[in-house]
Amino acid sequence: MKDTADNHSLLTNFYKSPAPSVSLSPTIMEKLTILTDAAKYDVACTSSGVDRGGDGTGIGNAKSCGICHTFAADGRCVSLLKILFTNECIFNCSYCQNNCTNDIPRATFTPEEICTLTIEFYRRNYIEGLFLSSGIIESPTYTMGLIYEAIYKLRTFYRFQGYIHVKTIPGADPVLIEKTGFLADRMSVNLELPTSDALKKLAPCKSRRTILTPMRQIQNGITANKNELMVYQKAPKFVPAGQSTQMIIGATPENDFQIMSVAEGLYQKFGLKRVFYSAYIHVNENAGLPALPSGPPLLREHRLYQADWLLRYYHFTVNELLSEDKPNFNIYLDPKCDWALRHLEYFPVEIGTADYKTLLRVPGIGAKSAKRIVKARRGSTLDFPDLKKIGVVLKRALYFITCSGRMMYPTKLDEDYICRSLLNDSSQIPREIKEQGYRQLSLFDDMSFSPVGNTANY
Amino acid sequence: MYVFQCENSLDGILTGVYDAWDSRLGHKNIQLSSESCGEILLFHEYIPVNPDLEKSQKVSKTLIRRLGMSFFEVICKCAMADGNCRKLTMDKANAVYQAIVMALALPEGAKVLEYLAEPCISCIFELCRQTNNEAHYMIEFLRFAELENGVLFSMIHPKNNVLPIVAEHFTDRFPLENFLLYDAVHQIAAVHKAQKRYMIVDANELNLDIIKRYSQEEQKYRRLWTAFFDTIAIDERINPKLQSQNIPKRYWRDTVELKSKY
Repeated sequence: MKDTADNHSLLTNFYKSPAPSVSLSPTIMEKLTILTDAAKYDVACTSSGVDRGGDGTGIGNAKSCGICHTFAADGRCVSLLKILFTNECIFNCSYCQNNCTNDIPRATFTPEEICTLTIEFYRRNYIEGLFLSSGIIESPTYTMGLIYEAIYKLRTFYRFQGYIHVKTIPGADPVLIEKTGFLADRMSVNLELPTSDALKKLAPCKSRRTILTPMRQIQNGITANKNELMVYQKAPKFVPAGQSTQMIIGATPENDFQIMSVAEGLYQKFGLKRVFYSAYIHVNENAGLPALPSGPPLLREHRLYQADWLLRYYHFTVNELLSEDKPNFNIYLDPKCDWALRHLEYFPVEIGTADYKTLLRVPGIGAKSAKRIVKARRGSTLDFPDLKKIGVVLKRALYFITCSGRMMYPTKLDEDYICRSLLNDSSQIPREIKEQGYRQLSLFDDMSFSPVGNTANY
Repeated sequence: MYVFQCENSLDGILTGVYDAWDSRLGHKNIQLSSESCGEILLFHEYIPVNPDLEKSQKVSKTLIRRLGMSFFEVICKCAMADGNCRKLTMDKANAVYQAIVMALALPEGAKVLEYLAEPCISCIFELCRQTNNEAHYMIEFLRFAELENGVLFSMIHPKNNVLPIVAEHFTDRFPLENFLLYDAVHQIAAVHKAQKRYMIVDANELNLDIIKRYSQEEQKYRRLWTAFFDTIAIDERINPKLQSQNIPKRYWRDTVELKSKY
């Protein structure tokens, strides 16, 4: 990396884009700004899922816990250099700012520019690796080819061993997708919208089929690669950090039950590592899109992520959390509390004897603290102060647990009582509700905690 | 009660463990203290401990042999932690000593680390968590600057003495780079030469003039990075509270992108 003079000359030789609309070569600063701005709505900025030490001949390693290098003004983690290869696009998805009918500044990187930026940022510990997506230039296969060229150069010439996340371009040649998969750590195809009808309406150039085909191809590739790795440990790894996808929330009228069912299906049938939910942000004026005067549905997005964790780490199924009759999450309570309040027959849980899976279902007990409880109680009997040290959130858990048969305070195991007590603590009220001018009394007017509807008494 | 006063370092604490054990005063009558000027109590006898490399190594070897490497690593991380924390109910040297006594007495050995209801173990758990958390923060948030001579330089201000963990990480990550990590709080530095192991040195040997002379490219990449950082945020989602919750303000001054907002 000492030899930066060579890289520098590459940076100043600007790439002539094949698209006619780019006539003046923008500076690297302009390109970076345009292509970051164009990539920022993609949410999948994690660097997790793969552990790889450096081999001593290049630069970089990867940690499976993931490393966030900074947090932007919106509080979101910045882990990867998240950019588009180009924001030229032949598609006209109505929710996307890069759609071909929009009059915005366009730019295209060269593979060299992407490599130099990645390496120089990485050396300074700004980033964990590269997230490369792209608008569709010429054709999906041509675009995928450009992406492949960039990361091939990064992996072989620059010997970069950090994290690479690549967007699969729907409709690209399967051979190119496979070759890319052997260089990338994670690949993702965006599902964009939860149902195929919504997709047809808002993204007429995309279809469920062109999205699911590469997703299935990558899933099969990962399975085949695992078998290969069992026989020959040094076989090259195919997408070792797995696949992810994202759905836009709130642009179309699907309810939470539909969205979560789609996510559950993706985890079970496509073996996805993560499904990301992206609150819809109004960037284009279009008759088919909602205006959302109160801003993007951030609280709804938050609830979906919470439920997503319950699916992946807490052994919940969508049918336990939601149903046709109750198709949306309670905005006042997190999905786990909400579930517990509707299933008080399982509580209180005795900390000294309950098994791991039962502990996981208690509000205020997370996966880590449940594991610690199971181990710590072998040494001595646990009491409430011990649980606090272990990391249990007692102000939520106290209604649902006993230590040596005793509750922390005398409380009633009653839905309305617990719910009121939980919401009395203003730190438990979501920010979005507080900012909407939340008042204690109005809380119960529009909540239905149980089908019986006995909340009317309060 | 006998109080063994040891130096606040791994060698100091382990020497304290050795002397305390060797004194045969009975574990119940012994406390260790890593604070030099703690409160002096009536009916306590204070015994100063001089750090001794040989004694400390004897204890390390015994710990590794009888309780395993991961137990020893936990003890090291406790020693690295800054013991001045409200959450702690016990002096860190004393917690280490009590935990070792307990682990060596019980047949399950290193498993005692899981018994979080024991006061000394919960203290060790907390110390270890402090060290791990801050080491992770450092790995996330420290920034390197390229100096004129091509060396990567970074200055950090950690509360806990996490430099060895951080240096280990970057040695694996940048095997072909020459880098210098300077811990300005503890006045030590980690020096890494390409394709070699890193070394921890006293920061007094550091030439502070060199570290102010950046390479020609440095400013350009800082500007590019700051531009990237400012562009990546979505205006409709701006949330300063969430931001400072995720990256605590005390780390802002050592970053490139948030320094001016600190």
